[in-house]
Amino acid sequence: MTSRRRFMTGALAASVVPVRSWAAIGDPQYLSAARRSDGTFVLVGLRSDATLAFEMPLPARGHAAAAHPERAEAVAFARRPGTYAIVLDCSDGSILARLEAPRGRHFYGHGVFSKDGARLYTTENNYESAAGVIGVWDAGNGYRRLGEFSSGGVGPHEVLRLPGKEMLVVANGGIHTHPESGREKLNLRHMRPNLTYLDGKGTVVQRVQIRDDWHLNSIRHLAVDASGQVGFAMQWQGEFWDAPPLLGLHRLGETARFCMSPEAVHLGMKGYAGSVAYCGSGMWIAISSPRGGYVERFDALSGAYLGAVGAADVCGISGAGMGMMATTGDGHVVGIQTKIAAFHPLAFDNHLVAI
Amino acid sequence: MIRSLVLSLLVMVSGAAKAAAQDVDLSARVTAAVEQHVLPSYARFATSARDLSRAAYTNCNAEDEALRGAYHAAFDDWVRVSHLRFGPSETDNRAFALAFWPDSRSKTPKALAGLIAEEVPAGLEAAELMQQSIAVQGFYALDYLLYDPTYMTMGAPEYRCELIRNLSEGIAVRAEEIDGDWGQYYAAQMIAPSKSGAYHTTNEAAGELLKAVATGLQFTEEARLARPLGTFDRPRPKRAEAWRSGRSLRHVVLSLEATRDLTAALAGETSVAARLDGAFETVLNNATFDDPAFAGVKEPIARLTIESLQQYVNALREQVVAEMTVALDVSIGFNALDGD
Repeated sequence: MTSRRRFMTGALAASVVPVRSWAAIGDPQYLSAARRSDGTFVLVGLRSDATLAFEMPLPARGHAAAAHPERAEAVAFARRPGTYAIVLDCSDGSILARLEAPRGRHFYGHGVFSKDGARLYTTENNYESAAGVIGVWDAGNGYRRLGEFSSGGVGPHEVLRLPGKEMLVVANGGIHTHPESGREKLNLRHMRPNLTYLDGKGTVVQRVQIRDDWHLNSIRHLAVDASGQVGFAMQWQGEFWDAPPLLGLHRLGETARFCMSPEAVHLGMKGYAGSVAYCGSGMWIAISSPRGGYVERFDALSGAYLGAVGAADVCGISGAGMGMMATTGDGHVVGIQTKIAAFHPLAFDNHLVAI
Repeated sequence: MIRSLVLSLLVMVSGAAKAAAQDVDLSARVTAAVEQHVLPSYARFATSARDLSRAAYTNCNAEDEALRGAYHAAFDDWVRVSHLRFGPSETDNRAFALAFWPDSRSKTPKALAGLIAEEVPAGLEAAELMQQSIAVQGFYALDYLLYDPTYMTMGAPEYRCELIRNLSEGIAVRAEEIDGDWGQYYAAQMIAPSKSGAYHTTNEAAGELLKAVATGLQFTEEARLARPLGTFDRPRPKRAEAWRSGRSLRHVVLSLEATRDLTAALAGETSVAARLDGAFETVLNNATFDDPAFAGVKEPIARLTIESLQQYVNALREQVVAEMTVALDVSIGFNALDGD
């Protein structure tokens, strides 16, 4: 009766924790994992003016986070190949639940809630069979595991949900790794990244593959705008000077389009897009390259290159005002096409997640 | 040009970064690196690049000894700063226009052949040529015109002559621009970080310089050595850097010497200085073989020598990063070097 006991614990936990909203805890707009200057790791909440709303300890280096649509709850994921994720009550820092990846699975570091906030979807690796998995967790009952389904590819990294519906979009990076060999890439010659749309039950609605000669272009990160257009950012696994476009745009049911900056700017990205986000107005979309130290902007509709702005070790980006907020590994929080400027003694990790 | 966000900060922010390690005067280390390594290296490059342009105006014959000598001297000085890829070198894509390599899609020869075949007027004016694709500018385009028999005889001699002169002038102009920017403001911003400058703290400036060592060594390993090595079954000697002019090994050595010089300036009197200098010495001692263009990648025995050098460079980079980040208490590229 393990499952029943676990269920009871979850129910009990849920009943004693007062449910507080994001507004009640100082209205953070963004979440980011970070490293403190003393070497410990935290999850922080940032307000729209880039001040810190909260800072709570994590047991190890985090990657991304998922914010519950209503409750001041955040799931902080360990970076891959981590096997844990923790659900934090952002009002007081208490741990509401610990997610342990089932035997034979590890997390990739991203997840997303269902439309009603009742379920959490996580990207996972079934590493013996090299199959990508979406884990399903019961967010209403102490994050009990409900089940899992195929991600539609190998190495699912980020999963997002299209606005207003129960439709998931998964970036299947295509790269197989195994915990025994750490982060080593085991199948580069044969990798086949794809973008897969799945309904809430795991049925594949569309799978988008990129052309054969770009098969080394690992689809890793996603952004979705209000109309459901998906921006997908890629990381080229070949030599950086050979990198094809690092940003694609796609709408369910259509074919993908690709965006690329002029030669010298593109070369400077070093074949690596770390994050992708739409600006606050939705007019443009951007990819960040911590290796190049800048963020490239493209027209969200036409895909035309608009320009680039630089900041050392920039990676986390997210829409802010009409523009965008960006975070760096040096502790800077800066605005793109909007006035934001702050410095915190933190090394901000890869992603800035909008709440 | 890519505008720096951190440079453009309008709002003053509070909260100083963590103080540097107690026993290292980080500010003095940054000052030493800038004044003893960066500034003199760029000054030399600006001078030899101008000499190259003068030599080309005096005699634009590809086989002219004075021209070739000036070419080698300027290219040497470029390689000696090629690891300093931040700030002025990135403004207006200057560094890419000076050095478009690796060129795996052969854009440089294709674009050059196009210019020569059509006698494109832009090739006749340095300022116009500088506006063309970065693939058809700088040292690597010149390498074809001075050392590749096909390009040395392609089209009209008068047009090629002007192209050599104008490519050389473009190199000189960009070298002087980078040198000028360093002298006019960038050195000061690195040495004295401020909230309105490119670096807010000395740690950031030191991190940038250390990152330059790391990425310079990484480029030597991944591009200068790994590309010609290819695989055992398929070595790629014609992917060696500037093999036409026989400069491939020379670039490895020059870049190792330059990153050694920068490391020494950054390390100062710290306990790691002597050890890292010895590590560079060991790698350089393994780069003394007689195979200037890495033709030996096709021969099993000679290949081993080049592979071994590659492994030495890789290990050196790891050691320098590991020891220097601790010695200076700076972190480099939290996201850049360890992404996901």
